[in-house]
Amino acid sequence: MTTTNTRDLLKEVKDIVTQCDRCGTCLTVCPLFGVKDVEAASARGKNNIARAVVEGGFKPDAGVLEAMNFCLLCRTCIDNCPSKVKTDEAMIALRQYISDRQGGPGVKYRALGVMMKKRNLVKFSAGALKVVRKLGLGGLVPFGMAPAPFTREQYLSRFAGPAALAGEPPAARGAVVENAKVAYFQGCGMRMMFPEAVADTLAVLGTVSTPRQVDNVCCGLPHLAHGLREDFLALAKENISLFAADDIVVSDCASCAGTLKHFGAYLADDPEWQEAAKAFSAKVMSLSEYLVKAGYKPRQRSSAKMTFHEPCHLGRGQGIKKEPRQLLGAAGDFVEMAGADTCCGGAGSFHTDYPEIAAAILDKKRANIEKSGADIVVSECPVCLVQMNKAALKSGGRFKVMHISQVL
Amino acid sequence: MINEAIREKLRAAVGAENVLDKDLDRFGYSYDSSFIPLLPANNPDIVVRPSTTAEVSAVLAIANEHGIPVTARGAASGRTGGSIPVRGGISLSLDRMTKIIELDERNMMVTVEPGVRTIDLYNHCAAKGLFYPPDPASWKMSTIGGNVAENAGGMRAVKYGVTSNYVMGLEVVLADGRVITTGGKAIKNVTGYNMTSLFTGSEGTLGIITKVLLRLIPMPKVRNTLQLMFPSLDDACATIHGMLQAGVVPASAELMDKMSIQAVARHRKLDLDQAIEACVIIEIDGEDEAALVKQASMIEQIARGFGVSEVRIAASPKEAEDIWAIRRGLSSAVGALAPTRLGEDISVPRDAFPEVVRRIKKIAEKYNLPIAVYGHAGDGNLHPSVLCDLDNPEEAERVHKAVDEIFAAALAVGGTLSGEHGIGMTKRRYIADALGEDGVAALKAVKQALDPKGILNPDKIW
Repeated sequence: MTTTNTRDLLKEVKDIVTQCDRCGTCLTVCPLFGVKDVEAASARGKNNIARAVVEGGFKPDAGVLEAMNFCLLCRTCIDNCPSKVKTDEAMIALRQYISDRQGGPGVKYRALGVMMKKRNLVKFSAGALKVVRKLGLGGLVPFGMAPAPFTREQYLSRFAGPAALAGEPPAARGAVVENAKVAYFQGCGMRMMFPEAVADTLAVLGTVSTPRQVDNVCCGLPHLAHGLREDFLALAKENISLFAADDIVVSDCASCAGTLKHFGAYLADDPEWQEAAKAFSAKVMSLSEYLVKAGYKPRQRSSAKMTFHEPCHLGRGQGIKKEPRQLLGAAGDFVEMAGADTCCGGAGSFHTDYPEIAAAILDKKRANIEKSGADIVVSECPVCLVQMNKAALKSGGRFKVMHISQVL
Repeated sequence: MINEAIREKLRAAVGAENVLDKDLDRFGYSYDSSFIPLLPANNPDIVVRPSTTAEVSAVLAIANEHGIPVTARGAASGRTGGSIPVRGGISLSLDRMTKIIELDERNMMVTVEPGVRTIDLYNHCAAKGLFYPPDPASWKMSTIGGNVAENAGGMRAVKYGVTSNYVMGLEVVLADGRVITTGGKAIKNVTGYNMTSLFTGSEGTLGIITKVLLRLIPMPKVRNTLQLMFPSLDDACATIHGMLQAGVVPASAELMDKMSIQAVARHRKLDLDQAIEACVIIEIDGEDEAALVKQASMIEQIARGFGVSEVRIAASPKEAEDIWAIRRGLSSAVGALAPTRLGEDISVPRDAFPEVVRRIKKIAEKYNLPIAVYGHAGDGNLHPSVLCDLDNPEEAERVHKAVDEIFAAALAVGGTLSGEHGIGMTKRRYIADALGEDGVAALKAVKQALDPKGILNPDKIW
């Protein structure tokens, strides 16, 4: 998986997609097929287009690339597939193969890739978005990328619970953090769009450890997903070096944490990096995973009725399902909504590439949030939060949206 | 073959947004869940997606006028190529006809459109305490139209029968676009030929089913699941026969051979005693818990008499579901063992089950091919799966000979070519062996009468 050698990529695709026996189970769960019921939109459809490419039935051209891009990488199909066909990996590999052949992934993804590769550009965007939000101009930024924040202060004043005003001291340190050096991995999405939540994450982490703040680079998922594997690997190596001295790396972005956990696999064939990558991935935790392991107790219990939107990269991606719910149960009146683990349609830049499809998927999510009667929908991924904010807006403010660190 | 003027007519018939003709889109309607190679692709020239009977009728009138092949398709979860548009033309995708038109509780019947998924139909009826028993393994994705067209079976056939046992009537669009209805809600009905039965299992070759009237039965009040492990496959079969003869009719009795169990073990981290040669999963149902306990203890007693090595009686619905998940995931788990899996579907008299399994194992040895066997031992329907690599020409040759002999073995013990998957494309060449030349000629005469231009699902069955 470490090389962009095109033949290896095709073999990678082939090994995955030939496992599909076209039973059609995925058609019943694929969120995209749920809103666009054309075979090519489904996991089965795309896996078999990919197989036809491998076997010479289709030229690996821009049309096929577009078909492969039409995937949320949400892994719902894999969860349900009797043969566990790894559709997301097949899509990523074939995107890479076609990108390599045509000299790049196309202007849009290349521009995004360049931006996300540079710390300074990410920081500049974060600053610009902050100014935009301060001026109350968030609505002018397309795709809801500058959501109006609902801050922790507002949350506490509205849903003041018994402990909220008492200023209860932070809980004692949990076992996992005894003497462990904890570092915070700040994702680009969190940095750019949810600086208030980042501050709350650091505050929460600060109660159970002394998190080291690192000037990390992008996790590389946007690059990996869209045909820029070399960039992804370069970013991975830089991040591995940056966190070499830490014992635990915590991210409050599910996609970042999920990606970081895969560095070991993606660099497994690289003799120079394999060990460091494996060691790095082993110390990555998502925020809720870490907090539960550290025995964290929420700073207050509020009266808010809260539900959890489970990010694909948290639940299916990392198997972290119980932890956020456990934390929310301690922080307020937690209620499980129907379809909590269904993709919200955000999926990295998918919601900007296919806004209407993403909106149709989100409408189902919004209906489930409304049905749950929750005051607040909580999540642990910035792109999900962007989507949730759009849903909140459309629901006419029937619920608020918060990052998990803001309610704990 | 379909010129622009005809395309325009089709668009007018169903709405332009319900017609697909780009290459990547057409390819998606070229395959099903059979082992027919993906390439060269059997692309339809056009995919047409009607929403009403009137639209289906309009499409067929156009197709018949111009002699365009029409292949009906639901979820394409079939295993014999039934929905593959092998001669191009129109893929008539019925998956948008998803209305449950009426649940008639007093007559205990339900009327549905063909695109309704089997599981949705089941759940809809179950909510009212009514039971639609047929449960093909693909019931989560398969559509009822496809179930009727293939006369799908399932695991509950031993007690409750197959799809055709529940079809009371149909609305069918004939090849030229005329619409007929067959059967009805009257239980006794000998008015004219039994056209309902004729269309059921006709694999889309005689007409397009646009409505299905199904009878329902009261939902069994309680169910439970047992898992039995045997050191001998013969004894596993003998246990099932013993149960049936003793009057304990299980809702289903599924048998898996050693290779099948091992395939599932790979997926599910099942601890497997190497001495186990067969696993039987049994569902029992009844009026109350006492009835279940009685059935379970009778089954256990019979199984002990045949040397069962492990009896597991589910203690909770979750455990029952866990046991069934093993069976439901089996087909794909076996498929994952080799580059190609030729999963067959033969059906034999119940008492010939052990004999045909023995013959299949001999065939496996003769051609040096792993063949996993599992199936519905309660009703004699089994699925031998030849695990192979068809990209290897020498192996492919052996595989084809082995499959020929498997069908010959089924016929030799008084069985038939298909229990529940249909003939489709994959078993065409054996049909005369099963029915005889005159038998096939009779099928063709029926076909000629109903579809004189031969537009409906051509090159299937024979």
